[in-house]
Amino acid sequence: MTDAAALPRTMVITGATGWLGQNLVRAVAPERERVRCLVRTPEEAALLAVVGTSVDPVIGDVRDPDALDRLLDGAADATVVHTAAVIHPTTGTRELFDVNVGGTQLVVDRVRRRGAGRLIHVSSNSPFGANPGPDHRFTEDSPRHPYMGYGRSKAEAEDIVLAAHERGHLEAVVLRPPWFYGPYQPERQTRWLRAVRRNRFPMVGDGSNRRSMVFTGNLVHAVLRAEQVQAAAGRAYWIADGPPPTMLEVIDTVRAALDAEGFAPAGGPRPRFPRAVGDVAERVDGFLQARGRYSQVLHVLGELKDTIACDTTRAEIELGYQPATTLLDGMRASIRWCVDRGIAL
Amino acid sequence: MSRLLVTGGSGYFGSVLVDQALARGDEVRILDLNPPEPRPGAPVDVVVGDVRDADVVRRACEGIDVVHHNVAQVPLARDRDLFWTVNVVGTANVVVAARDAAVAKLVTTSSSAVYGIPEHNPVDESSPRRPLEAYGRAKLEAEALCAEAVAAGLDVTIIRPRTILGHGRLGIMVILFELVAEGAAVPVLDGGDNRYQLVHAEDLADACLRAGDRPGGLAYNIGASEFGTMRETLEALCRHAGTGARVRSVPAGPARLAMRSATAVGVAPFAPYHWLLYGESLWFDTTAARRDLGWVPAHSNADMVIESYEWWRAHRHDLDGPGRSHHQSPVRFGLLELLKRLR
Repeated sequence: MTDAAALPRTMVITGATGWLGQNLVRAVAPERERVRCLVRTPEEAALLAVVGTSVDPVIGDVRDPDALDRLLDGAADATVVHTAAVIHPTTGTRELFDVNVGGTQLVVDRVRRRGAGRLIHVSSNSPFGANPGPDHRFTEDSPRHPYMGYGRSKAEAEDIVLAAHERGHLEAVVLRPPWFYGPYQPERQTRWLRAVRRNRFPMVGDGSNRRSMVFTGNLVHAVLRAEQVQAAAGRAYWIADGPPPTMLEVIDTVRAALDAEGFAPAGGPRPRFPRAVGDVAERVDGFLQARGRYSQVLHVLGELKDTIACDTTRAEIELGYQPATTLLDGMRASIRWCVDRGIAL
Repeated sequence: MSRLLVTGGSGYFGSVLVDQALARGDEVRILDLNPPEPRPGAPVDVVVGDVRDADVVRRACEGIDVVHHNVAQVPLARDRDLFWTVNVVGTANVVVAARDAAVAKLVTTSSSAVYGIPEHNPVDESSPRRPLEAYGRAKLEAEALCAEAVAAGLDVTIIRPRTILGHGRLGIMVILFELVAEGAAVPVLDGGDNRYQLVHAEDLADACLRAGDRPGGLAYNIGASEFGTMRETLEALCRHAGTGARVRSVPAGPARLAMRSATAVGVAPFAPYHWLLYGESLWFDTTAARRDLGWVPAHSNADMVIESYEWWRAHRHDLDGPGRSHHQSPVRFGLLELLKRLR
């Protein structure tokens, strides 16, 4: 089923300076001849080049065909990992479609025209929305209910990739990770850890809703399995740490991780909102997004009440996916990463 | 004999490092925004350029045995964007160019600002690094890049100096010197009993060259071995000056507020690092540098302050002029008149 001997010597990564990208570059740089990385600025290129001699940054935007041609130049056999996407737009919801849909369309077009190895497309839970109840799990056969602009954009992107595969334009695998955590986290995740430490992170509802999560290291492992397993071509897979914890368990585990790394969490009552607050936030978020506007706070608040949980059985069986890092250990690794960079928690 | 690249080699500390290297027979290349003072006949070549330009740095590293990276955007600059691009991106460029040119060693000058205000003194190389402000965070990020380069096979040593002093590196000391010369009250915060360690530029340059000569050693903390409290250091200077100047304690809270306000309205050249640390203890355990590098500092805190004061007295009227770095520029201060009234 696997054919490790044929592992391509070059990997091409879009979104190389993103949360997953930074982890992926570091995982593969020591073993590949070349890791071609799409970055946006010369400054990002300089920082990423430090990782190793194999790292080969290309400066440009995923919406720019010339940049993608430079990215794919001389990479005819390379695996292409497309991680570039916008989750929380800063200029309105249009950005979600420009980058997530337009960028994916361009990557697919350029890979088709220039030729490359397998395309691994990093999707999301968001095309599927929320589970109907806390005990329900998404499988790869679940119906899609895209959640807001981001969900619609990621659903369209998946369709583009899988349609191109079916037409024989390229060979693709789609991975669907839910909520990430891990080193190289963005500022918003640091704010979240701080809020959890201070016991200020609100619980919407009773906290019994479940959330699948995935440690960046586990997701990197899934990307490498998706690259190697021949039979994965044309398939999509849910990728998460394991059985989904409840929201309460997530918060308690993060607090335990903070404590274990020397950041004693604050006690006292935790802010609680009734589910109805989440419902209102979701409606207002939807109202704004329909008008092209985006509020990160409302968007996150609207999602906190939901169960977003998936079943990773197919990835385990078909990809040989075995997540090695638990929520506690992964959170501890994230906290140590913050400490190493002087990021206060 | 080695071929050395000294980035920031036209600055005060860089010049001291270049002179020491030349004195022991090394050949030196300088990479700096500004050309250095001429050294007729000395084996020095110069690349005038910006450390933020990867191609310039790559050219500068060609044929080099040891790179000494001293370019930094110092706290006095107070520009967050420059902190990031010069200190972090500049260091990334140096690390990558040194690696690709297969130099034997990179010695990079970091800062004690990476430690913030330590919970315990003395601070050694393994003490927690918790920077408090943008400068310290940028220097820590640069250190993280170096650690990553070490993991990928480059030999890098990080040198973390305490506050550097020497005649060309007066910085905000000029404010204290003005007060001493005028016989005014010299303020310390909350009694001035904080132990505050300096390091002489000559001693620091010696540590850098020694680190460049040997493989390994990820980080060394460097500071004077003889140092006292802030009050003791400044009292030694007042006694030496004989101007009638006295050390006077002011409450830390209002003083920090005054420093921050004076900076905000542009009458004084402080940066957060100054008001955060002037009244705090920070001193290094230099055991590792002594043991591994055989380094022995020659200058005490009091020697340095007195030497710098005398140099400043002799040159104070020549100090106005363009093209000086922040540490060399005499600072302008409307605050001085306020401080003099403390008496």
